[in-house]
Amino acid sequence: MSGESARNYWKSLEERDGQPGQTAEPTDPARWAGLDRRDFLRAAGFLFAGTALAGCQRTPTRFALPLVDQAEEIIPGRASYYASTCCACPAGCGVLAKCRDGRPIKLEGNPDHSLSGGGLCAVGQASLLGLYDRLRPRQPLHDGRETTWAVVDADIRRRLDEIRRTGGAVRVLSNSITSPTLRASIQEFVRHFPGGRHVVYDPVSCSAILDAHARTHGARALPHYHFDRAAVIAGFDADFLGTWISPVEFTAGYRSGRVPQGTPPRMAWHVQFEARLSLTGSKADRRVRLAPGEIGLTLSHLAARLARRAGSAFPDDRLEDAPVPAALLDQLAERLWQARPNGLVVCGSQDVAAQVLVNFINHLLGAYGNTLDVERPSWQRQGDDGQLRELLRELAEDRVAALFLIDCNPAYDLPGGDAVRRARLLVSCSERLDETARLAHYVCPVPHYLESWGDAEPVNGVVSLSQPTVRLPGDPRPALASLATWMGHPATANALVREHWRRHLFPRQETRMPLPGVGAGGQAAAGAPARDFQAFWDQTLHNGYARVRPDRIAVRPFDSAAVRPITRAVPAEGDTFTVVLYPKVGLLDGRHAYNPWLQELPDPISKVTWDNYACLSPTAAARLNVRDGDVVRLETTAGNGSSQPLELPVLVQPGQHDQVVAVALGYGSQLSARFGEVGPAWLEGRPTLGPNGLVGVNAAPLLAWEDNTLRPIRPHVRVAATGRHQPLACTQSHHTITVPQHLAPPGHERRPVIREFTLPLIAPPHHEEQAADLWPEDHPMTGRRWAMVIDLSTCTGCSACVMACQAENNVPVVGKDEVRRQREMHWIRIDRYYSGAGDDVDVAHQPMLCQHCENAPCETVCPVLATVHSAEGLNQQVYNRCVGTRYCANNCPYKTRRFNWFNYPREDALHNLVLNPDVTVRSRGVMEKCSFCVQRIRESRGAAVQTACQQSCPAQAIVFGDANDPTSRVARLMSEPRRYQVLGELNVRPSVSYLGLVRNRPAAGGGPHHE
Amino acid sequence: MRSRITTIVLLVGLAFGTLALVPRLRGYRAPGNQRGYEPVQPIAFSHRLHAGELEISCQYCHSGAEKSRHAGIPSSGLCLNCHRTVTAPLGVLRAEQEVAKQENRPPRPVVSPELKKLYDALGLDDKLQPDPGRKPTPIPWVKIHNLPDHASFDHRAHVLSGVACQHCHGAVETMERARQVEALSMGWCVNCHRDSNRVGVIGKKVNASTDCSTCHY
Repeated sequence: MSGESARNYWKSLEERDGQPGQTAEPTDPARWAGLDRRDFLRAAGFLFAGTALAGCQRTPTRFALPLVDQAEEIIPGRASYYASTCCACPAGCGVLAKCRDGRPIKLEGNPDHSLSGGGLCAVGQASLLGLYDRLRPRQPLHDGRETTWAVVDADIRRRLDEIRRTGGAVRVLSNSITSPTLRASIQEFVRHFPGGRHVVYDPVSCSAILDAHARTHGARALPHYHFDRAAVIAGFDADFLGTWISPVEFTAGYRSGRVPQGTPPRMAWHVQFEARLSLTGSKADRRVRLAPGEIGLTLSHLAARLARRAGSAFPDDRLEDAPVPAALLDQLAERLWQARPNGLVVCGSQDVAAQVLVNFINHLLGAYGNTLDVERPSWQRQGDDGQLRELLRELAEDRVAALFLIDCNPAYDLPGGDAVRRARLLVSCSERLDETARLAHYVCPVPHYLESWGDAEPVNGVVSLSQPTVRLPGDPRPALASLATWMGHPATANALVREHWRRHLFPRQETRMPLPGVGAGGQAAAGAPARDFQAFWDQTLHNGYARVRPDRIAVRPFDSAAVRPITRAVPAEGDTFTVVLYPKVGLLDGRHAYNPWLQELPDPISKVTWDNYACLSPTAAARLNVRDGDVVRLETTAGNGSSQPLELPVLVQPGQHDQVVAVALGYGSQLSARFGEVGPAWLEGRPTLGPNGLVGVNAAPLLAWEDNTLRPIRPHVRVAATGRHQPLACTQSHHTITVPQHLAPPGHERRPVIREFTLPLIAPPHHEEQAADLWPEDHPMTGRRWAMVIDLSTCTGCSACVMACQAENNVPVVGKDEVRRQREMHWIRIDRYYSGAGDDVDVAHQPMLCQHCENAPCETVCPVLATVHSAEGLNQQVYNRCVGTRYCANNCPYKTRRFNWFNYPREDALHNLVLNPDVTVRSRGVMEKCSFCVQRIRESRGAAVQTACQQSCPAQAIVFGDANDPTSRVARLMSEPRRYQVLGELNVRPSVSYLGLVRNRPAAGGGPHHE
Repeated sequence: MRSRITTIVLLVGLAFGTLALVPRLRGYRAPGNQRGYEPVQPIAFSHRLHAGELEISCQYCHSGAEKSRHAGIPSSGLCLNCHRTVTAPLGVLRAEQEVAKQENRPPRPVVSPELKKLYDALGLDDKLQPDPGRKPTPIPWVKIHNLPDHASFDHRAHVLSGVACQHCHGAVETMERARQVEALSMGWCVNCHRDSNRVGVIGKKVNASTDCSTCHY
């Protein structure tokens, strides 16, 4: 079959090598009591009868409490949607908060938002849970004791007056703040004090990109990247689909170039150079393992090739040999040059010299103004590591009189960050009692973004508002209001935001402002500028965002004098490793370590939950003689800013550089100490927390200062096995639909689960082979027939769908020990398959959910008819009928059914407010699985319906709809030649089908290595 | 001999047992069946008066029925639409007016004890103005028609396809105190769905699904 490559897929190294997988040993629940099976059943029978009798009681009286005064737009039982801005990271995506009965229960991407375009990442989805966090401080604290705002304000103002008299240094420290009002407020606050400064840092810093633009363009700014315009993309250690800067926006843009279009079909070409296997690398057409120390040299070689084509001067005579094949560099340079100005090179390195080279390359390609824009920059990263270092020096020398921390946690995420305690007055405006807040003299709790007013300008020219959706017990106060109070003119956040918008953003409004939902002839206001401020404000609040005239920043023409080649790679020293620290999809820099949904979200690549670990390549692991779960000690060598050695379990990660250990940031946070009780309490339960009483280990102390940038790279680290073993809760071999080799019938060792194509795309015309059927054709589905198509080509594995499903369908969290027993409850999982031989691997992501088979094997084996088919093609699971035989799960070829082994804890009344009232909370002994969001189908009553996973997908990889409607998108996609059904040979006729993965590479070969 | 005595003892026991149980058996219902449930409400609201005598439409108060899955209990504020002026039964008000005319004085405000409860819940003072010292509290009406948690019922679908409220709720307009009339069991629901598919609702053809996921999800 031309265009389609046939290859072996495997989920774990054990599977590839035919070894049994590592999972917890199954235990027989009856054995511990010393009973045999019959005695057990006998006793159980009596107990059951006894309990049934004892359970007889009168039906409890239920009350119906109506609202005292019902506003017209509030209809109990109906959801209202409020446009807002996600503040879970500085990317500032647009969200719609779905509110039921006065509280938000789900976040959806705002489909009209001009940056995020309807998607919402896993972190954004899960950030809703933070609202209902019982452990957030409710009152301000003074030295750890609860007090009132009046006391705190009086104290702080008195101390500030003293400082104003004596002239001490006042500093405000924060992460990147996209809110224009808050930024202006902080500026005004520090201006009150001579020499006052606002220092911005990012735990996962992009400072070098901004510094490089200061050198080459004379403006310290982060360009706004337009992946949608890029035809050739070269990424250097930048995980732009997973965690880098603004992944939802970048995924949406990247997707638009990655759907094969036209005749002959064309798509963007993506090369990724990276040390660890990232989400972005897993989608690349060509992926090259490159040590962090070799990035600069590789960029120099690429720059030299492009400079030659452009006729620019670039001194390349003293360059060392390139660490990557010259043929690849030639090809990349040629393709970038051909595609100009639609080429784009992005780099996540914190080396300013390397970033200057990146700017040079993008400049040669003419990409500035097209695929990246520095005149209308992004505010999503503003960190200045130079200023941060200066502040840490001041703190060390006791020169800081007052330090105000706005929603940042330096004591956790900076090496030596606990120096903040040396400030004579330390005030933390923070949502939670994190490491830094515990050191602070005053903790001023700030509200969650869903319960306060706020604004954001993530990218110059795109402004958005966030609005309160609920008021929960407690008395948090936005940092905005606190600063205003301390400056002596108290005001509410709403008043401050409005005032700033009236003065600064209203004059910038664009002449064309679309009003979504209003047709062309609908309202004259659409397309015209708002007449007065109130109209502008109302319109923005309704839309969630507005486009305003960008504040163009002054940019010099490109300064070639700043460009210096990097002539050599940093060599590895002896048998030491380079530690690469990375933010993990889900936990990012650790600000969401309190969030059980994110802690239990399997990493998209390693599939590990509830832990961080030291990723080693198979070669390196063999050299150290360690296996998955063996604990190793990472020791920095002396004279290198040495820190405490870290002890972490090993994860053998194919596709990783042999001299690199990759460790995720964001773990080992005090916020995760709460998970001691997570999961069911039962005899054999084992703790979720590690030996340190936390989830994972904090790797931030390994961040290294070099040339005034904080680098997530620590070279020269010794790695040694400790001999201990700490099993990881890894889901990669759970619910596998591949057959173990020793059990497979001859000729069926490999099942065609993934189909893969290369360009030029010549897929054979699709025809379903209908095998002879056991069942009579007596169920014609003439009405609606629900079906789903998932495009494996655009799916990046980002796991937004997993979190969206968890929030929508009340999926419980089970804890690390239960995950180890293969009892995770996610209704949709993303199977990650490796392919290829050797250490360079290709990756395919396949979202796997209940396939709603027409000939469903689960339905025929259920003894109580708890799972039956609906007239619209849904495979229904009826919880109240289910008796828990689990036959259905055993007979499901896709392994998508989940069994409730326990009543998972639902005791936290505040936490329970997040539950979707339209979905039953399942109890112990009941099977559950994906329902195609039947509650949404019912609620929509036939109109356009989107499942939760589909709504959230930033790449729009999931399409759901009525297959019987020939005009529906799903019906059109079902006739695509790339479409196939997983395990179609079983003739179970799944309603979910997939579009094969397309890689932009020539058809020859088949391995990941050909060109 | 002995077996006969045993039999007699058992039979006598059975007879006594039956006699003792008969009064209770009358009220026998399957577990979960709340048919006939007629709890005392915090305010003696009369559906007979409002829906029957005054012929106020059901959806004037239960306005969610065609917009939402819940018909909804009206907010206390809604009651004030009428009861801001009607503070007691008409007869009592008229009588007071008569007396006032005879005694040649302005009529005194008369507030019925049941409506007093409403005004108290709303935090209103004697002149029916909001009293800043009192917080409005919702009235804890006792819910009569309860479905189990795993069943979800959508009023919209039924009301919009023309099913009369009385079909499920009985002749509420005749009840002094609201009472559950039908069993609200699954068999009762499904039978109606089947019949409706066969004969339609008020002459219209309907598609009343009997799929499990119509109610259970």
